[in-house]
Amino acid sequence: MTFSRKILHNYYFFFFFFQAEKVLLEMQDPCTGVKSQPQRLVITIIPHAITGNKNRSLPQARSLGSMLVSLGYIYPLQDHKNLVIKPDASLYRFQTPYFWPTQQWPVEDTDYAIYLAKRNIRKKGMLELHEQEQYNHLHKWMNHKWDFIVMQAKEQYRAAKERKKPDRVVFDCQERAYWVVHRPPVRKPMIFTQQSIMRPRVKSSVSIGALVKYCSTYSGHDPFLSKCLPSNPWLTDDTTFWALNMPNVEIPTKMRVERWTFSFKELLSDPRGRDDFRLFLKKEFSGENLAFWEGCEDLKWGTAVAMKEKAEHIYKTFLARGAPRWINIDGKTMEITVKGLKHPHRYVLDAAQTHIYMLMKKDSYGRYLKSPVFKETLKKAICPDEHRFKNRRPSLSPIIIRQQEQEQRAKMAASAPVDITQVMSKLSKQGKEMGPRHSK
Amino acid sequence: MGKEECKTMLDALNKVTACYRHLVIALGSTSDSQNLREELKKTRKKAQELAVANRTKLTTLLKDKTISTEDRAEYERLWVLFSSSMELLEVDMKRSLEIGQDFPLKVPTRHLIQTGMTGSTNAVAARAMSVQNMKYEADSNIDTADLRDLQSEITQVSQMMEEMEMKVQVAPWAVVAKQEAGAELKSNMSVGNSSVGVISICEEEPKDDEGGNGREGSSAPNHSITLSLCLL
Repeated sequence: MTFSRKILHNYYFFFFFFQAEKVLLEMQDPCTGVKSQPQRLVITIIPHAITGNKNRSLPQARSLGSMLVSLGYIYPLQDHKNLVIKPDASLYRFQTPYFWPTQQWPVEDTDYAIYLAKRNIRKKGMLELHEQEQYNHLHKWMNHKWDFIVMQAKEQYRAAKERKKPDRVVFDCQERAYWVVHRPPVRKPMIFTQQSIMRPRVKSSVSIGALVKYCSTYSGHDPFLSKCLPSNPWLTDDTTFWALNMPNVEIPTKMRVERWTFSFKELLSDPRGRDDFRLFLKKEFSGENLAFWEGCEDLKWGTAVAMKEKAEHIYKTFLARGAPRWINIDGKTMEITVKGLKHPHRYVLDAAQTHIYMLMKKDSYGRYLKSPVFKETLKKAICPDEHRFKNRRPSLSPIIIRQQEQEQRAKMAASAPVDITQVMSKLSKQGKEMGPRHSK
Repeated sequence: MGKEECKTMLDALNKVTACYRHLVIALGSTSDSQNLREELKKTRKKAQELAVANRTKLTTLLKDKTISTEDRAEYERLWVLFSSSMELLEVDMKRSLEIGQDFPLKVPTRHLIQTGMTGSTNAVAARAMSVQNMKYEADSNIDTADLRDLQSEITQVSQMMEEMEMKVQVAPWAVVAKQEAGAELKSNMSVGNSSVGVISICEEEPKDDEGGNGREGSSAPNHSITLSLCLL
């Protein structure tokens, strides 16, 4: 059971444990309790076996009985893995108080390991599959205690032999029943946990190194960490920075062009960079790659209605045999893509898109950075001057404006009685004049 | 040599712990009796004596800085054996207190659980005490009188374990066990006074064989599935 389910289980059943124990004690009363019969095992006779027969009539009795069995207060003698009360002559027995489930006595792996070792001795190495798995697992994780486990298992095994045979039989059944409740044989495969264990892991030195590299590369380009030219509009109220870095500006800034050299992804994600790259590819007569890539992006992010049409258009333009802008992808990818296009969906062209992306990245991108197109753009790129605060007109804060208005009003009131409306209109005109200067 | 002495004492403690567990399992069941309570008390006392002796010995050995790394590794291994035994003992003592309190023997309205166990446990106790026969000399109210002693003894054991953790710096997870997986199958088992050729323990495993005199693995002839009478 997972940890949280265990807590819930305990919480929920705490009340039941208490009540169950009371019921169990009442069941022992020789007069009013449950009648028991002896169990015959070849030549051994073991007393105190009960049946579920009487429970047939009362559904509450049956559900109570089933609950007692599933918790482990009563265990079945036949079909020991099936923890239910059957309304027939099958036999059950009460579990000894030591093996009762309670919160205060957590079920320990050490005890389970000792039990499995004892079972191993008894079965001479032929454990059941789930037992063998558990055994191996515990041997790995409790290795430091293994000597103790072996020693204790052997001693417990020997001590058990000191009892008379019927009691030995009962003890073995009791212990087995206890572990059927607390380590049930069937476990659902934990696919999620297995997958997460198999996920490729990166050394922290590698991942931290990548982070450091990223930070050092981009720190100069981050307007929060370093100066941005001409100035940060939020600080100086000057929007030149935004104007200079518009998506489709004619002449990009030097910083922007520098960012295109960091990675192919940067180049493609910047519209101005993409334009530049497109120009370069046109000159190289390999523009179809970028066009295809853009078409795929369009398909991925576009509306669902237009999807089928787009997919068909892309196929006709880029993928079909003899297409006008045929792209060069390997046979396997082409096969997968064409097959997928029979039932097109948003991501049907993903494989082909990745292939083309990698092609451009490994091949065209390198050449682009060395090309005359790029060099030209780089030369033309501007590096704006830093903002000089001299020309900045500081805006008046509203508090000062209000103070000034109040002062003026006081001055007016102090002098001879004048027509109030005139004064008010004069004041409001003044306010309007000042408005455009400080309301940006 | 200190090591051999230690090992012998640990073996003894291990044996007593195992027997004590068997006795506690019988508590509250139809095997419960005044005798069982007395057996529990005696076994417990013996376990504590052994525990104290072991602890003293091992602490002195581990505090010695002049021992070689191999020796130290061996003592650490013995330490893990010792502390694991003590953990088991502590748990069983606590459980015996609770069950003992829940199932007083003299109250007529409190019935013992009909577990199917009816025999006595004196052979197990005798094994723990390393005697031939147990002598019973306790008062008839031992089931309630002993509980107070038990409570104080549990506190003592907990304190002892805490002290142990403090004094001796041993990392239990760093110990490498000597035994391989399946080691319990290899060694010889002592020939105890047990039955020959038990047929089945529960109806579901009719072909099961308990392995005759306890020797398993190599000696095949003993596994005769005969309907011989049990020698008890």
